[in-house]
Amino acid sequence: MSLAATSRSLAARGPAGQLRSRAEEAASVLPPLLVQAQQLAGAVLLGDHGRRRSGVGDDFWQYRPVQQGDSRRMIDHRRSARGDQQFVREREWHIAQTVHLWVDQGQSMRFASDPGLPQKIERARLLALAAAVLMVRGGERVGLTGGVLPPRRGNAQILRIAEHFTTDETAAYAPPEHRGLIPHARALFISDFLGPFEELEIALTKAADRGLRGVLLQVLDPSEELFPFAGRTRFESMTADVRHETLKASALRDRYLDRLAERRDALNALCRAAGWTLGLHHCGDSAQSGLLWLYHALERRP
Amino acid sequence: MTLIAGIGFTSPWLLLGLLVLPLLWLLLRAIPPAPKRQPFPAVTLLLGLRDDESLSDRTPWWLLLLRMLAVAAAIIGLSGPVLNPAQDYGGRGPLLIVLDSSWAGAPRWDQNRTQIEAELSEAGRAGRPVALLRLTAPEPLQFLSAPQWTRQLAGMPPHPWTPGPAQLAQAQTMIAATEGGFDTLWLSDGLAMEGRADLVAALSDHGEIEVYESATPTLGLLPATYDDGAIVLRAQRSTSGLPQDITVQAVGPDPAGVERALAAATLAFDANSTHAEGRLTLPMELRARISRFEILNSRSAGAVSLTDDRLRRREVALISAQSSNEGLALLSPLHYLRQALIPSTELLEGALTDLLPANPDVVILADVARLAPDQEAALVDWVEQGGLLLRFAGPRLAASDTARDTEEPLMPVRLRIGGRSIGGAMSWGEPKSLAPFAEGTPFYGLEIPDEVTIGSQVMAQPDPELANRVVAELNDGTPLVTRKALGQGQVILFHVTANAEWSTLPLSGLFVEMLERLAISSVAKPPEAEDLDGTTWQATAVLDGFGRLVDADSLAGVAGPELIAGAAGPELQPGLYTSGKRAYARNVLRDGDELLPARWPASVPVQLYEAAKERPLAGALIGLALLLMAVDVVAALLVSGLWSPARVAGLALACALGLILGVAPQSGQAQSTRTATDLTANLTLAFVKTGQADADRIAEEGLRGLGNVLSLRTSVEPAAPYGVDLETDELSFFPFLYWPVTDAQPMPSSDAYARLNDYLRTGGMILFDTRDADLAQAGATSSAARRLQQLALPLDIPPLEPMPADHVLTRAFYLLQDFPGRFPRGQIWVEAAPPDAEQVEGLPFRNLNDGVTPVVIGGNDWAAAWAVDADNVPLYPVGRGFSGERQRELARRFGVNLLMHVLTGNYKSDQVHVPALLDRLGQ
Repeated sequence: MSLAATSRSLAARGPAGQLRSRAEEAASVLPPLLVQAQQLAGAVLLGDHGRRRSGVGDDFWQYRPVQQGDSRRMIDHRRSARGDQQFVREREWHIAQTVHLWVDQGQSMRFASDPGLPQKIERARLLALAAAVLMVRGGERVGLTGGVLPPRRGNAQILRIAEHFTTDETAAYAPPEHRGLIPHARALFISDFLGPFEELEIALTKAADRGLRGVLLQVLDPSEELFPFAGRTRFESMTADVRHETLKASALRDRYLDRLAERRDALNALCRAAGWTLGLHHCGDSAQSGLLWLYHALERRP
Repeated sequence: MTLIAGIGFTSPWLLLGLLVLPLLWLLLRAIPPAPKRQPFPAVTLLLGLRDDESLSDRTPWWLLLLRMLAVAAAIIGLSGPVLNPAQDYGGRGPLLIVLDSSWAGAPRWDQNRTQIEAELSEAGRAGRPVALLRLTAPEPLQFLSAPQWTRQLAGMPPHPWTPGPAQLAQAQTMIAATEGGFDTLWLSDGLAMEGRADLVAALSDHGEIEVYESATPTLGLLPATYDDGAIVLRAQRSTSGLPQDITVQAVGPDPAGVERALAAATLAFDANSTHAEGRLTLPMELRARISRFEILNSRSAGAVSLTDDRLRRREVALISAQSSNEGLALLSPLHYLRQALIPSTELLEGALTDLLPANPDVVILADVARLAPDQEAALVDWVEQGGLLLRFAGPRLAASDTARDTEEPLMPVRLRIGGRSIGGAMSWGEPKSLAPFAEGTPFYGLEIPDEVTIGSQVMAQPDPELANRVVAELNDGTPLVTRKALGQGQVILFHVTANAEWSTLPLSGLFVEMLERLAISSVAKPPEAEDLDGTTWQATAVLDGFGRLVDADSLAGVAGPELIAGAAGPELQPGLYTSGKRAYARNVLRDGDELLPARWPASVPVQLYEAAKERPLAGALIGLALLLMAVDVVAALLVSGLWSPARVAGLALACALGLILGVAPQSGQAQSTRTATDLTANLTLAFVKTGQADADRIAEEGLRGLGNVLSLRTSVEPAAPYGVDLETDELSFFPFLYWPVTDAQPMPSSDAYARLNDYLRTGGMILFDTRDADLAQAGATSSAARRLQQLALPLDIPPLEPMPADHVLTRAFYLLQDFPGRFPRGQIWVEAAPPDAEQVEGLPFRNLNDGVTPVVIGGNDWAAAWAVDADNVPLYPVGRGFSGERQRELARRFGVNLLMHVLTGNYKSDQVHVPALLDRLGQ
């Protein structure tokens, strides 16, 4: 049963039926998203995350003689039994980064100009989740902004993120969520950034104030980049509350593209000011390229 | 009615509405279609952008034109246009409508009736009194108001005869008896009749005459005759001019007693000919069942030709006591009978026991004195059922003691010993001649030639009943032919021989005529009027004007000569007549009748029906307007983007595809059909088409894979597999059928089942595969298994059992313990071993049944395990890893074993005899 049909028949079923069908709906979305994200993440080779010094970690770093203050428990008996001196086994210090994810779940993202293309929101979720998979594999802590999901490590976190990605927001253009950010962490915001610019400005300023560095990824549909319309047309936002009617759409093309470039310039300026990186991804391109760009952008040292 | 350019308008003022069209053009042009809706999240960037050109969007010109046309069509349609409007003749005063009302008008009766009704309503509007005169049944003229006639019109169907001189004279007097003037409207059927000019003259004394006549020729069918083994059909038409083909159907009861067309012949009229002839050759049995011939699609009594027993050749069994002797053909008692009967009957010769089951119409015993008691009983039975037994005397009968003391059932009279001989070398007296036939006997009216003399006869014992039983006698009063009724049949005895030994009767034409009169031979040529002198015929069924047979209730009997020579009329209606045992079909047209077109005096205007047909155009125009509006809706939706071109194109494509697919299957089938030669040139593995595409595909791939395996490993090299359609394909080409059972399988027809049963009986094998061994045991619970039960119910399947471990399938080529397909271990059912199968000492298996099991039933989905693609790579997964490949290999081995079992039978079982053979060799 398609999702639309499911939600349509919800009212007819009663509370238990609704719960069940919602659970099914959620379950029907989750596995493919996860699998896709895992597959996508598997294509990227992970680099070495060691910090080249001893500390808390899993990997062996060095044996050193026991010093004053070391607990006896820390003595490595296997090494010590070879001679008279007692050794302590030190491990490499692994530091974990904290990464905040925010994916625009607004209605404006639920758009695809062609049935063959994925909706923007699907691509955005896929990229975010794949990035999360990569980061979890690298030992980082990943979470969602807004305090809905505090950063944690481990594969279970991926499932939780994926679960949160199954819910849509009703707002036409969702404002970026800047609450619940841990200072000096990293952040990844994915959206089409077509909503009000001021809210993005506020969010990014707040984040920069807390010392966060991160990446903005703008996901656009090809039609939003090309504007292939002509004739008498009424353009509507996805919730149909913003409208613009024109008699000759083809005449608007150049001016629209100008405005789009303006918007991108503004984004760029904002990013430079806050020390963030701006990326662009089209739904018509492969998700792989988007993920690779994300990976490198996130790996870059602040 | 106003006429504009040959088209009449009932309300021409509405046409002024066309003036509004230019205004409408301007209005519609200013109102553009609704804009396209386009969801677009980046609309926020568009806000505030203005269109620089202030051009207002216009409706496309073609859409405007479409709408204009629609409105114009509606306006013109509403103004009531009529093509070929009828002219008003503006007659006044009373109106007489004269109808020929004969069978020739029956095919056009509906048309005529509409015309009459139209004229009546016209007259009703004008307040003219109307009288109706039917020439086939004239009645005194009554001038009534038109609606009264309209009501009566339904009860005035055409009659099955044409107006004869008697009726025309009657009509003349009735017209003469009418006072005052009236106009005449004559609806003619287009056939000539004598006295038409007189009638026209009488009518024109009273007023104007106007004639309607149809231009299409009237078709008539002459009585069918039998000539040279074929039925000769002759048809006529009233006017020539164009070549014309008509189809004549022979109608009669089929074996189930339902009336249907038994055969058909096409008769072709040449352009300048009014006659057509055709021949129809039919087997005797079929010919006997024909009850009438009719011209297809011509609904009239003249287009029907009823048949009587002239077409039906009676079956006569000839039996004589003598064994046939070639040298003495002229002395054979049967020779003259044979000569007399061959032209008009089917002769059966042989032993009585062989002939009686064929139920002949007549049995002739020539000089047979005694029959075996059981034969006699059978013959009595047959006569009592309505048979006619004709016996001839002869030396044997005269010498025997048949019917001496008591009357026998198969002999009309008792006989005296020895008979008598008169006028021979050793006797006094002259040979006797025949006395004239008495009235009331079947021979009454036959002329007796002088040369017929009787030399010898057997004599009847004087008896009180004798006088009643004599049909013909000699001029000395001794009986020559006697007859008695027995049950529903009769027994007739000729007191002379059937050859020329005792009399010269068999040499004369009288002999043949007597046989005809006794209804022994049916006459090949129609009887002449004189032949029926003194007979009265009663109608059993008569034709109505449309050529349908209706019961002849209480019609008076008709004298024989009148029946043949008289013209059809109210007293002599065409139909079936009977007299005694004989039947005669009186048809509308007789041999020699001619259909001639009517000739009218030059003063009378003749109109054709066709020319005067009004054709209102309003419906068509308003329909066109509606159609244009529907197109406009689609076009408007298209223009406003509410209906995307892609979707319209998709819809159109789907429609087109549907059309193509609806037509295509036949051509597709024609392509894939392989001829019988292809199928039998090599061994062909076949599967039954299930009606489910994927199951058929898997079956085909599976059999291809199995074929490859067989070619590689054995000397069996099958051709490409073939999908068998149970309804159409011949099954006997295939030794083996694979039948995947699906829910979608339609039940085969009873024909198909008959062929399947034949197939199973004659050594074919069907492998039923329910393909669900993972879910259910075969024959247990699954839906496919239930379907299999339904499918197999009408099949002739022997008792089954799960395959025993020592079945020959386990060792026909490979040694196998189980028979996996895609599923490893479903149960397999085969024909049960005979209950007396015994374990042979020293061998691991029993002495099992001979022959090949006709069915193997399982659910292991073997085809999927066998299936390979064109590169011989397995298509479907079987099991896991190496064990899966092993399972596939075992499935292939099962296939090989199965085919070996099908092709070689069970010779592997013959090893049970090995100990005995070895034993014998040792000695």
